[in-house]
Amino acid sequence: MSNPPEAPYFAARTLHKHFGGIVAVEELSAELRRGEIVGLIGPNGSGKTTTINLVAGALRPDSGSIMLDGRDIVGMPAHAFARAGVGRTFQVPRLFKRMTVIENLIVPALIDARTSRRQAEARARETLAFVRFEHLANAYARTLSGGQQKLLELGRALMLRPSLLLLDEPFAGVHPRLLEQIVEHIRTLSAQGYTIVLVDHNLDAVRSVVRRTLVMARGRKIADGPSEEVLRDPVVIRAYTGTRKAVEGHS
Amino acid sequence: MHGTFRRSHGLRALLLFAAAAAPFVAGPYWVHVGALAWYYALLAASWALLAGYAGQFSFAHVAFAALGGYSSALLTLRFGLPVALSIPLTVILAMVLGALMGALVLRLSGPYLALFTLAIAEIFRLMLVAEEDVTRGSLGLQVPGLFSGGSDVPYYYLGLGLVVLALLAMNGLLATRVGLFLRAIREDEHAAQASGVNTTLHKIVVFVTTAGLAALAGTYYGHFVGILSPNMVIIPEMGLVVAMAVIGGIESLPGAVVGAAIVYGLSEILREYGEWRFVLLGLALIVVQRFAQNGLFPMVERYLDGRVAPPGKSRVDIENVPKMEGEYVKPS
Repeated sequence: MSNPPEAPYFAARTLHKHFGGIVAVEELSAELRRGEIVGLIGPNGSGKTTTINLVAGALRPDSGSIMLDGRDIVGMPAHAFARAGVGRTFQVPRLFKRMTVIENLIVPALIDARTSRRQAEARARETLAFVRFEHLANAYARTLSGGQQKLLELGRALMLRPSLLLLDEPFAGVHPRLLEQIVEHIRTLSAQGYTIVLVDHNLDAVRSVVRRTLVMARGRKIADGPSEEVLRDPVVIRAYTGTRKAVEGHS
Repeated sequence: MHGTFRRSHGLRALLLFAAAAAPFVAGPYWVHVGALAWYYALLAASWALLAGYAGQFSFAHVAFAALGGYSSALLTLRFGLPVALSIPLTVILAMVLGALMGALVLRLSGPYLALFTLAIAEIFRLMLVAEEDVTRGSLGLQVPGLFSGGSDVPYYYLGLGLVVLALLAMNGLLATRVGLFLRAIREDEHAAQASGVNTTLHKIVVFVTTAGLAALAGTYYGHFVGILSPNMVIIPEMGLVVAMAVIGGIESLPGAVVGAAIVYGLSEILREYGEWRFVLLGLALIVVQRFAQNGLFPMVERYLDGRVAPPGKSRVDIENVPKMEGEYVKPS
């Protein structure tokens, strides 16, 4: 809150990550204002998930910095990123499968030693109400459908009270009716002031919730701006249709 | 269900009463067998915490038991320390080494962790064999007893007391948020980290706790049996501990104790069949894994509490899910 208005809430600066000889993310810089919601799109293998993993602290960049609310958090362990306010979901949901829905939710709440189990459960019930899951509180996570697992994962990330929410393909493989519900949830969260990065291949769904879109190809950011302009950009269209030369020529 | 009487609690009380009363009805031979069974019960229950709850399938558990046995014996024999001092010192040493091993294996899981810890156990066994001057190698190390007189009854009650205390301590730990975090780590370490759980710290905590308990079991064994040999660390010994935990219930600490009593008791009853009894125990393990993946004890408890699932049904009824200590399903 003490930041001057022009300072970004989140800033990644010249992030690099390579795996052996493969460059996964190169020279990636991006800034987000507090409460902003952006889409991160790009063809398969363009480095979106690696970027999410870097920003969530699950991977350590080879170089570059990640500033959250004026603090450089690069190099801290993943759990410290979570405690610093970075919540995330995974491309393929990673739930605590042999734990109940409510147990899944209270884990992030209990990392604060001052939170009692009773308080954690009360908050978990609020989150359950948000994702409309009250009836499933005592179900084992592994018994949920794919879409329900995505919702539970979103709920678990929310239990961290994150200031930055990274959603990795929340729409993939989800039933159309549940998709609408997830879109609605993301809109609500954005309206509540969460800063959100949304990765997905469903461009229509992404476009329906974000105004700004970032496009990656071959590990680099190739476009960043208002969604309508970005999606009309010939470079972006070429990156999606797959002519390598055009993308390289641009970057 | 909190605060209400459950028949499974009655069963636990009954089993404890039976264990306490056994020396009054059993002969010296079975008291001896029972006292040895408590050694295995301590190992199986602490291994159930390590592997069943926290998902750390370490096969170095018997090595920590041997470390305990040898360390306490050597401290009393070489340095003349009283057992009242040598046992706590040994447990502390094992906890330090447990922390070290926990830190070494942080990035390992599944088969890699199993192989790594198996190698550590084997290296330790070979050191015990090779360091003849200190350990007397395969000849075995004579260890002073704890009680005068020839009766095993004091050992039996000491062992039972240690088992009860260990169960209380471990259940105390599991009742805190640490228990929940350990299960979360077992289920998915990355998701646990993304949820803010310090997985490094909690994995080390569980290695430290269980290493300390294994070493305590080892000191008890050494001072009771009176002779230690590197055979404490052979792979079949570890296999026996695993079988006890799995048959009794790998995610149920009292289940692992019951498993230890059943398996060790059976191996004595079937002694006349020689090596064939282990074949039978192996078959029993397979049958339990096929029909009661959570082990026998949790199944009996659920039956007593009227929470029985139809046979072969692995999915839990979503609308009416029983609260239970955990259900063991093989990781896919």
